[in-house]
Amino acid sequence: MSDNMRNNVRDNMGHMNNQLTQEMRDLARELLASGEVKGLFGWTKGSRWYLTPPVFITKPEEADRLCYDEFAVNNLTGLLLDFRDSQDKIAVFVKGCDSRGIVRLVQDNQLKRENIVVIGVPCPGMGDKGAVTDHRQAQELPLLAKCLECRYPNPVLADRTIGAVTVTTEPSAAPSGATAEAAKGRGVGSKEADRFAQVEAIEKMSPDERYAFWQAQNKKCIRCYACRNICPACNCRECIFDSDKKNWVNKAATPTDNAFFGITRAMHVAGRCVECGECERVCPMDIPIMAMNRKLIGDLNELFGPYDAGVKADEKPPLGAFKLDDPEEFM
Amino acid sequence: MSAVDEKKVNAAGQPDPNWEPNIVGFACNWCTYAGADLAGLSRMQYPPNVKLIRVPCSGRANPQFVLRAFQKGADGVLVAGCHPGDCHYATGNYFTRRRFLLFQRLLEFSGIDPRRFQARWISGAEAPKFRDVVTQMAEEVKALGPNRKLREEL
Amino acid sequence: MKAFPKDKLTAVLDTLAKQATLWVPAIVAGVSRFAPYGPGREVQLGANTVMSPKEALFPATEKIYEYSAYGIDGEFTPVDPSVGPQILFGLRSCDMQGILCLDDVFLTRGYVDDYYAKKREEATLVTLGCVTPGPDCFCYAMGVNPAEHAASDAQLFDLGDAYGIVARTAKGEALVSALETAGLLSESDKAPLPTGDFVLKVDAEGITEKLQHMFDHPLWDAFSRKCLNCGACAYICPTCHCFDISDKKRNAHCGIKIKCWDTCMYSEYALMAGGHNPRPSKKERVRQRFMHKLRYFPERYGKLQCTGCGRCIAKCPVNLEITDVIQQVREAKIDG
Repeated sequence: MSDNMRNNVRDNMGHMNNQLTQEMRDLARELLASGEVKGLFGWTKGSRWYLTPPVFITKPEEADRLCYDEFAVNNLTGLLLDFRDSQDKIAVFVKGCDSRGIVRLVQDNQLKRENIVVIGVPCPGMGDKGAVTDHRQAQELPLLAKCLECRYPNPVLADRTIGAVTVTTEPSAAPSGATAEAAKGRGVGSKEADRFAQVEAIEKMSPDERYAFWQAQNKKCIRCYACRNICPACNCRECIFDSDKKNWVNKAATPTDNAFFGITRAMHVAGRCVECGECERVCPMDIPIMAMNRKLIGDLNELFGPYDAGVKADEKPPLGAFKLDDPEEFM
Repeated sequence: MSAVDEKKVNAAGQPDPNWEPNIVGFACNWCTYAGADLAGLSRMQYPPNVKLIRVPCSGRANPQFVLRAFQKGADGVLVAGCHPGDCHYATGNYFTRRRFLLFQRLLEFSGIDPRRFQARWISGAEAPKFRDVVTQMAEEVKALGPNRKLREEL
Repeated sequence: MKAFPKDKLTAVLDTLAKQATLWVPAIVAGVSRFAPYGPGREVQLGANTVMSPKEALFPATEKIYEYSAYGIDGEFTPVDPSVGPQILFGLRSCDMQGILCLDDVFLTRGYVDDYYAKKREEATLVTLGCVTPGPDCFCYAMGVNPAEHAASDAQLFDLGDAYGIVARTAKGEALVSALETAGLLSESDKAPLPTGDFVLKVDAEGITEKLQHMFDHPLWDAFSRKCLNCGACAYICPTCHCFDISDKKRNAHCGIKIKCWDTCMYSEYALMAGGHNPRPSKKERVRQRFMHKLRYFPERYGKLQCTGCGRCIAKCPVNLEITDVIQQVREAKIDG
């Protein structure tokens, strides 16, 4: 691509973002002014050009703080858990991947569906801020790996939408709405087939190599629990890792105690992980957490039939159900 | 971890011919525990390597139990309960089956030999099966050597 | 000043590694942190580390004693806090300042933490002047000079193709003379490269005084709404020093006591034995974090408990940036 074309693409993206941001603000203002919702989770522009972090607003005049662009990467659905005991109606903006978090929370009885206004937004694919070289000036960024592997670029449910996005539970559907062209051009979903590549690479190792690989990762873990806290599937009111008084777990951050955490976390979200990839994105130590999750997803598909968590609210997660003729290896 | 670590070694790092594996067994109260009891009552001989922990249902044994056992020094873990269809709580063992089919694969993915974690269906009448399972598992784990993986440091 | 060419760095590190455990900034399993130098260590002096160097003096998990108790007979075996001589090489000014904050907590006011004190006493701190501030750096606003730090034992300066070294204390002189004996130092008249421009602009003037009137301010609600209450910020911070004493039981009678990092971000942190939690929600925890850094600590020890290293800004999953907190606190209106 020539510099000129690149600038054009960026201008187009900028234009589109402005329009979506405007739609977002108008809708938020309407919802808050009418009193339909008490508060709203969205994104706002952060301190640098490549940051678009979450924001919570409660007044119509705050709607102008909202912003949407290819850095609005945070899945906001986990933040709704602060309202699980509240009767207040809250609105939340969701991209395709995020929307599955809503299904997760509703299915887990953490939120009442009627207490949330879900607003679907089209997604252009999120830029990888790790590739930023100039922190002062906007530049073209590659997509995050999770966006290249995306299978649900469109919201699976929504009460309202902006940017003419299509709501669909169809996997691998083409990106729709205002950012459809940008998403396709940037390669959203183009590496869908690769999402198990890392799992396969690890499976090819010998058992000792695998153990050494995970030990090296577990050695890095600082037990900050960012992976747990951002996850819509990690929604227990009391997590076993929040208390060491029962002597189940320990605050000691040794590799094997961390392995206990890592493996337990993975098993607890098995069959419920909505693949938003946020756990891995927020890990300050760059631990490949999704490899663990994907391993479980692949095996569940193989053992009990294909299943995508957080897509259809009336389908039970595989570990919450059984069939009489499930595979029998134990005897 | 080197291959040497995986072999039976004593405190001095020398192979220890007297080493015996330490296996933790989670046994369902209604079937397997009764089966083990019957094996004892019938004076069946089986290796003493398996320490049984009675749980109300094999579905009560959750993955943390298994991990904790490995952390605390188990060389192998067995979860055993009623045959599918025989669960005292009607469906508990169907959930166990799904969960541990998956968990065994996850442990393998984490570098743990799947032979170190096994699940079996043993009814209250199957004392010979209990004996055989325990004997076989003790032999298998003995052949694998001591488990150092996931073992608690400090 | 005395200097060694950059291509002699390995020789310098090899020499120092013979004297003591040498901690260097390095990439370990994909993450930059301070780690003991040795064969194959991927040293990285160009940018500051993701993990702060506090783990060399204040490990994330540390065994402090073993105990056994059978009936009335108890036995107690303390663990020697010494780890032998250590050199921390290539600390940035912000992290040196962070160690001064830890010193205040663990060594002053009549409370001495033996486990920290011993390691601190055994450590030689070698700082490196910053040339290119990172994208999240703002040490200048926290009263830290990125070019050098007066409290270090020895100071390194980037001279372009060489590192200049100046000893500031007896420990530093011993280190420099060891390098001299090894024939690695020569005299250089070059001036240190100047520190470049900072991306982040912030002014913390008067922040402590302002916060004294803001305990009940609605700003804390706003900040906490997006916070995940994870501990990433605290655990990578060079000044966060909270820890918990916990135990690992071997059986009903014996076990070990460990000292391990803890953070005010966690719900269990302030939970009392009776079940009451004075910081029941995110709001109180978020407030505590920033109040501690910007108000309580300066009130007690006379310095900010933030050194502007920017780690929490770089790694916060929701971009709850302390610079933004400072900015908004300064702009906030106070009623009455």
